[in-house]
Amino acid sequence: MSPGAPPEVECTRLSKGFDGGVEVLREIDLRIEAGRTTAFVGPSGCGKSTLLRLIAGLERPSSGAVEIGGRPPAETLRRAGLAVAFQDPSLLPWRTVRGNVELALKLARRRPRPRAVEDLIALVGLSGFGDARPAALSGGMRQRAAIARAMVTEPGLLLLDEPFGAVDELTRRQLAQDLPRLWEARETTAILVTHSIHEAVMLSDRVVVFSSRPARIVADVRIDLPRPRPAGTTADPHFLALSDRVSAALAKGMGDRADGLAAQ
Amino acid sequence: MSARAAAAAFRPAPNGLAGAALLVLGWEAAARAFAGTYLIAGPVDVLAYLSGNGALMARALSETLGNAALGFVAGNCAAILLAAAAQLWPRGRAAIAGLALLVFCLPLVATGPILRVLLGPGPGPQIVLAALAVYYTTFVPLLVGLRAAPASWFDLVRSYGRGPVTELRRVRARAALPYLFAGLQIAAPAAFLGAMVGEFTGAERGMGVLTVRAMRALDVEATWALASVAALVSILAYAGIGALAEMVLRERPPVILSPPGAAGRGAGPARGALVLALAVAAWWIVLEAAGLPTFFAKRPDDFWAAFVTAPDAAAARATLLGALAETAIYVLPGYLAGLLLGAGLAIAILLVPAAAAVALPLAVALRSVPIVTSAPLLVLALGRGAVGTVTLVAIMVFFPSFVACLHGLRQAPGQVLDVFDSYAAGRVARLVHVQVPAMWPAFFAAARMAVPASVLAVTVVEWLATGQGVGSLMALSASLSDYDMLWGSVVAVALLSGAGYVAVGAVERRVLAVYAAEQVAG
Repeated sequence: MSPGAPPEVECTRLSKGFDGGVEVLREIDLRIEAGRTTAFVGPSGCGKSTLLRLIAGLERPSSGAVEIGGRPPAETLRRAGLAVAFQDPSLLPWRTVRGNVELALKLARRRPRPRAVEDLIALVGLSGFGDARPAALSGGMRQRAAIARAMVTEPGLLLLDEPFGAVDELTRRQLAQDLPRLWEARETTAILVTHSIHEAVMLSDRVVVFSSRPARIVADVRIDLPRPRPAGTTADPHFLALSDRVSAALAKGMGDRADGLAAQ
Repeated sequence: MSARAAAAAFRPAPNGLAGAALLVLGWEAAARAFAGTYLIAGPVDVLAYLSGNGALMARALSETLGNAALGFVAGNCAAILLAAAAQLWPRGRAAIAGLALLVFCLPLVATGPILRVLLGPGPGPQIVLAALAVYYTTFVPLLVGLRAAPASWFDLVRSYGRGPVTELRRVRARAALPYLFAGLQIAAPAAFLGAMVGEFTGAERGMGVLTVRAMRALDVEATWALASVAALVSILAYAGIGALAEMVLRERPPVILSPPGAAGRGAGPARGALVLALAVAAWWIVLEAAGLPTFFAKRPDDFWAAFVTAPDAAAARATLLGALAETAIYVLPGYLAGLLLGAGLAIAILLVPAAAAVALPLAVALRSVPIVTSAPLLVLALGRGAVGTVTLVAIMVFFPSFVACLHGLRQAPGQVLDVFDSYAAGRVARLVHVQVPAMWPAFFAAARMAVPASVLAVTVVEWLATGQGVGSLMALSASLSDYDMLWGSVVAVALLSGAGYVAVGAVERRVLAVYAAEQVAG
């Protein structure tokens, strides 16, 4: 498989607990289709980000397994076949925006297409800030630089952890239009962690809803809205119906916790 | 990298026992190789000596350890207060740092007798010398640590209408903790050594007294037994502070974003002149207040007379400047060798963690054994030439650089290392792109500390081995009671250190403007 080919991701009876007995994930079974965008939605602190880190091979599961394209995550990591846009931008303070984006290419041992770096910087709306250091940028701009860094290596698997958390509303809408176009053109397998129902439905082909901790899957909603999805999609009755389904599942997932405690 | 790994900077490697065994075997092998030269006693001989003289050793150890502990506490408290004052009072920062440097430059041959006269035959001088040996290497990293926090944290404090004191208590004190622990680890062997060296100046009890006695009697077993005990105590203290640091420092280092504000002016000529004037005033006031006789406690005006206005001032000046030139030649190579040895060893341990098991105890041991004990061996191995001198200086100054850099490398932000993990980046890529850049503030703290340390080390080597330069001149003038020349030598050493310190500061500001803007702002 070439490094850029979109892989399928499979989680089997995946559980994760931390020192001190905090159980974050309980027996997650989940198959994520290749070349599609999947959103994880759930209450704050439910374990979505932990699941993403498990898929990225940054944490080890307590039990169960993650497979990317039928192999352990470590192999995909070694081929630089995935990239993560972290919740916290985690840019190197001493490198410029361009330097941070280029560093990803260096780490992934990739040669960029001509102008790839500049194009991405422009796409995330940072034209003219290529030579700025992170300290000179706003929080939203830093997050966009981190998104550009994650995308520059053209990974087969793209993991986005609340990538628009600090981005202002207008830019957010613009990014919601532009970014999917880019990763769809390359048929990237994208996983998006978010707590915005709107964003999840707008961007993805499928929304997986998690309960409160320990996270279990409470709903799996297929988003069959046609692509591309212009800004007006948000007024589409079908969009609203899907959003309502996700919203109801989310509410149920939060309630589940009380039921779970009562059952014990 | 986990918080646990971050804290591991302070802890000997888990395979410490294997490393210790390797060291002891190497030591025994060296002792056998040099058998008959009366230079090395092996671990077997040392154990035999210790078992035969246990009570004597225990008494000496408890005496020296008590003084070292008091000096350790006093010196580090002084460092914390000085660093806090420099932080709260930015205008006084240059003066505080300058005077702290000058006091650290005072050579033992000058301070020892004065302290003995002032404090009498008791443990006072040992405690003060132990404190003097540790305060500077805690003070300098603390200055860096107190600034090692993201600008947004300070914005938060200010947004609640609170000022610099709250900032210091809530943000800076916490941010400085890793740097404090580095300073304490540097201080552990230094305090013990300082107390021992203090005993050389005329104490009645303690490890230092026994060391002098053993060396005069050419009692190799006793000398090495004393050195081994000193090294062991220091290694235990170093490891103990490391374990404490590991318990306290559980958070991963943050990404420090700080706006690229106007870089500070640094030490301009005006500030330099101010520090010089303060130093002269302090020199005069302290000696007057202590009521020390001008016969041996020369004042600034005595210095001026001896080297400027007296009939034979020109000759005295020529002698002093000639000696200073001989010393200065060795300072830069010795300085660079010590600094790079320290930084290089820290990087090597990061790349090959197993090396820590041998390198850490050896490094602490080299730092805690008095140079008078180890110098003859090193001179034998390396000769009295330039290579020998530079190597000896490097060995005497590398330890603070090593500990500071080891700790600085661990200041690599945890979140950024996650990004590197997500590309399965190797150790070298992490080192080059994250850990070394994150190390620069600590490295420059090390570079500052190493300046006076290497100047003093060159003078010690001159006194012990080469018979040249200011070190030899100080020893000679002390034995001839030529106190004008002795004080002149002290001034020369202080000025040389001050010049080096200013030069390091100039390089530091350029590098940190890129890599750690928070360190150079304001």
